[in-house]
Amino acid sequence: MATGVDQAVGMSLVVFSLLLFTYYSVWVIILPFVDNDHILHKYFLPREYSVIVPGVAAVILLLCIGAFTAVIMWKNRKPKKVD
Amino acid sequence: MTKLLEWLFGVSLVGAVWALVSFDLLDLSLPQTYREVAWPMPLYLLVSFGCYSLATVGYRVATFNDCEEAAKELQGQIKEAKEDLRRRGLKM
Repeated sequence: MATGVDQAVGMSLVVFSLLLFTYYSVWVIILPFVDNDHILHKYFLPREYSVIVPGVAAVILLLCIGAFTAVIMWKNRKPKKVD
Repeated sequence: MTKLLEWLFGVSLVGAVWALVSFDLLDLSLPQTYREVAWPMPLYLLVSFGCYSLATVGYRVATFNDCEEAAKELQGQIKEAKEDLRRRGLKM
């Protein structure tokens, strides 16, 4: 078995993704079938945000990947040889 | 029929059903709650696929076996290679 930090990181990833999946599932699928005066609605933002938040997160992720790629390519540029 | 065509056909079929239900193109007048659930479906599937990928990566990181002998063997081979190159004149 992997030890120490590896196990901690791996397990925290699993737990985080399970929590995210459960929260998002309840938000998208279960909440419309629940009465509007049920207390559960207190824990969730209005449903428009269930589309906006993942969209913004995807844009931020793409920006980070693009920035990382740009930094790496900038560092690796070689000046052209003059013959 | 090629695999690409099969996949495109399947995807467009599912997409057509989704559009029918979310935007009420056939005027079936389904209950509002079903339309509200169907509309974010593509995004929901994407998010759940991302969660599944994250969970799989995390699980495999946690259960990957350390290989003590292979690590030692590799270190030995690295030392050997360094010695050999130093003998041949490569400055390290």
